[in-house]
Order: sequence, then C-alpha cells, then structure tokens
Amino acid sequence: MSIQEKVEGYKKTLALFPNPQEKYQYLIEQAKKSEDFPTELRIDEFKVNGCQSQVWLVPEEKDNKLYFKSDSDALIAKGLVTLIASIYSDEAPKDILNSEIDLMEEFELGVILSPARRNGAFSMLKTIKEFSQKLAD
Amino acid sequence: MIKVSDLKKDFPIFDREINGKRLTYLDSGATSQKPELVINEMSNVYSNINANVHRGTYVLSSETTAKYEDVRNKLKEFINAYSSDEIIFTKGCTEGFNFLANSICKDLNPGDEIILSEIEHHANIIPWQMVAEKYNLKIKYINITESFNLDIDHFESLLNSNTKVVSIVGESNMSGMLPDIKKLNSLIREKTNAIYIVDGAQLVPHRKIDVQDLGIDFICVSGHKMLGPTGIGVVWGRKELLEKLDPVYGGGDMIEEVFYETATWAPIPHKFEAGTPPYVEAIGLGAAVDYLTKLDMKNVEKHSDELRLYAKNKLENIDRLNIVHTNSNLAGCTFAMSVEGVHATDVSLMLDTFGVAVRAGHHCVQPFHRKLNLDATFRATGYIYNDEEDFDILSNTIEESIKLLT
Repeated sequence: MSIQEKVEGYKKTLALFPNPQEKYQYLIEQAKKSEDFPTELRIDEFKVNGCQSQVWLVPEEKDNKLYFKSDSDALIAKGLVTLIASIYSDEAPKDILNSEIDLMEEFELGVILSPARRNGAFSMLKTIKEFSQKLAD
Repeated sequence: MIKVSDLKKDFPIFDREINGKRLTYLDSGATSQKPELVINEMSNVYSNINANVHRGTYVLSSETTAKYEDVRNKLKEFINAYSSDEIIFTKGCTEGFNFLANSICKDLNPGDEIILSEIEHHANIIPWQMVAEKYNLKIKYINITESFNLDIDHFESLLNSNTKVVSIVGESNMSGMLPDIKKLNSLIREKTNAIYIVDGAQLVPHRKIDVQDLGIDFICVSGHKMLGPTGIGVVWGRKELLEKLDPVYGGGDMIEEVFYETATWAPIPHKFEAGTPPYVEAIGLGAAVDYLTKLDMKNVEKHSDELRLYAKNKLENIDRLNIVHTNSNLAGCTFAMSVEGVHATDVSLMLDTFGVAVRAGHHCVQPFHRKLNLDATFRATGYIYNDEEDFDILSNTIEESIKLLT
C-alpha cells in the first residue's frame, strides 16, 4: 500500500470519530495494540526532539525499504507515533522523501496536530525524513 | 468581595465555548485573560492618539507620551514605590532578570556568590548562569523541603560575605510557595551586603505588594500575568541602586548626549529603556492596574486564598493524584499534579476535550521536576475570574480523564 493510500485509510477511520475525545481514545487503542518496544531502545539516539512527552523512533532497513519501531511514555503521543510509523514503514526512502503529505491538514486531530513548527508530530515527520535522507545519500 | 459571575462579564473570552463546553480556564500562571478595559484602551491608543513617545512636538505624541508616563505613576502607587522614576519598563520578567543579571554582575569579583532557590523559574536561573560563567561567579541553590517550602536554615547557612545577589521567587509557579520575604530580607541584611531581588511574576498579580514595607531591592513584574498585554513588564528598583547601575541596552531614547566616541546616559528610568518602548502595551498595563486597583488587591488576595483552600480540599480527595503543593497555611492558588502511571500531557489533552485549560510540562522549572523524579506535571492555577465551580469541573474531569487513560 502506498503512503497516500495508508493516509487515506486512517483519514477515513478518524472521520468516524466526530469529537476530539473519541479521536484520542482511538489513538490510545492504537497505542495499546502496538507492538512491544524493547526498553533498551529508549535511548537518546532514537529520541525525537520537540515533543512534550518522550517519543522514540527506531529505523530499520530491509531490502531497501524502511521500517519504524516507535514508542512514547505518553499514551496519546504513542498512538500518534504508532500511526505515523505505520504510514512510513515498508516504504522506500525515496518515496518517503518525495511524499509531501501534510498530516496536519489530512488528520483533523485537534490540538495535537496543530500546525506549529514546535509541534511533536512535525518533529516525528522530520525525524523520519532525516533517516530516509541518510539512507538515500 | 469578588463576585466571579459578575466579574467574568468583563472578560470577552469567557463567551467562548471549547469543544462544545464552557471554557474552564485554569492556566493563568502561564498568562491571564484580559478584561475589555485593557483591550479597549489599547485599541483607543491605535485608533485615536497613536504617535511615538518622547519624540514628537505635536498633539498626538504629547498625548501618547503623557499616557505612557502616567502608567509609571499608577505602578508606583500599585506597589508603593518611593518614586515613579523607579519603574523601569521591560518586555517582561525574563528581560528584567537578564537586565539585572548583566548590569549587576559586571561589577562583581570572581568567586562572588549568587543565591537562588531550587524551585526557581528558568528566567531566574539562566540569566545568572550566563553571567556567572562570564565573570566567574558561583551560584548556590537553597534547598526546598519535602513540604515544598524554602529551607530557611539552609538559606542562612549559605549567606556569607561573598554573597552579592539573592534572587528568589515571590510566589512559586509550581508549588504555590510564598516565602516570607520580610524574614529573608532581614536575614540577608544581617549577614551580607547583598542585593535582594524578588521574582514577582506570580506574586504581584495575586497579592498586595508594598516594596517599601518588604525592604527588598528589586522586583521583576510580568504584565501579561496580571491582566495586561504581552510584551510588557516592569523592574522596580531602589532609586539609589538604579542610579549606580549601567544600562545593558544602548540606543535611542536612553541618552543625554552622544558623540562619535562616547555618550552619556539619560537619568533613570529612561537610561534603561533604549529604543521605542512598547508604549501601547505599557498603556494597556496601566488599564490592567486600574482594573486591579478598583477591585482592590486585598480582595484579590482574599479570593485567591479562599479559592486555594477549596481547590486543595477538592484535589486532595482524588484517588491516585499526587499534588506538588506547599503545606503552608498561606500559598498561591497553584497546583502542579501528576498521576502515577499516566503522562501529564495525556491528562491535559483529555482535560482539553472537556473545555478545561491547564498546562502540562515542566512549567520552566525543569531542575526541580528532575529532583522530584517527575518528567512532567500538569498544573492548574486560579485567578480572579475562577470560582469553586471551575475547580469542581477540574476535579470531576481529572477523575474522568484518569478513567479514560487507564
């Protein structure tokens, strides 16, 4: 599935929840369902700067594609990073770099996706693109 | 007596709904809401009299200048300064501390000591760290006790002939702690010749302050936390000390005479106010002072004390809630909180869905959070427009949020 298709899928699901509280509950469910994250990977090297809570993103390369493991000490942020990691996992670095999707626009997620540069989601995307750039170089 | 239901009508923002709910604003520790009086006064300046201050020889400029300078008189009365020349306008408390740190410390000797406390806001830590590194000064921190008060014995033990500056919060933005300023002042005078600075960011909006009675040397004040606009604050200082200090910023408006090689400074307060000042913001702050004066700061204080006791009682009854709040009888209406196993950001995001605005993070008090082994807390602060109902809603929605998050 392409990045665009995955975004469309999440967009449809999130649209089912009309108010922010239900959207947060959906993210909390995603966090709880997410794959276990090895605590030894909770290190500075993988920490995403600029989030209000602690967020970790660990890239893995397999057959020229990137995969991301993710974690956070806060539930809602963990839900969000789980979703973002799944969108950009199983993708080629060049496809990630070429994708210009504005998640802030696409997902109406209230204050956690407000279009602020110091926003956590902005930092998560920046980290993913930096990993992709390193691999593409 | 403050009647919140009537007073709220003066604040247009309370007409707003958040997520379909009434706005429960409990983040005045970060910034206060503004009464119509302040908003209208600033709009009046721009609409009717706007011109740069101190420069023009025409009606508009002289009207703006008169209004701007009159704010110093209002503030002089408000904190009982000796003279309106002692009121220095700054961008806010942060600029106030940067100005004081740079101006005071350049005349100190290597090894001289600055005393702060463990629970200071970053604005009262970083400027001192920066100058301490530059001039080889030592910073010492007063311990905070387990009940979130200043350890006075420890403070006494830190005072010596090398102590040159003591800068301590007047009301903690985390634990609500209200140090006994007069007592600290007399200890400082007894044992040192140090300058005593009070961080008034949270104190001045909430309590009647009399700088002459307190006996302190300087106080930094934030305008936007006391109903005024952002971008304006005040440093009050004793005239004889201000006259000795050199300015930190150079530019227009702060000079007497300028030559190609050198310049002489204008008298206080203007020597510290380089460039076009934020005069509209200052006039807005003047309107905020009028509003608070009319309300009477004794009433503001009483309201804060009653609300704090009510809130404390409510919050202490919530299961799993850990509250960072002083055990003193007298404190600010500020509660930093955490829930075991639940992140503060999650709680505050959930509270927002109920229309409840609180702050999450370290509230610019990171070292003390680290000392308590807390990554973050969420914080509720009450002000004149908050009442019991706000804290009822807060405690119910905290309980609701904990359920949703576990």
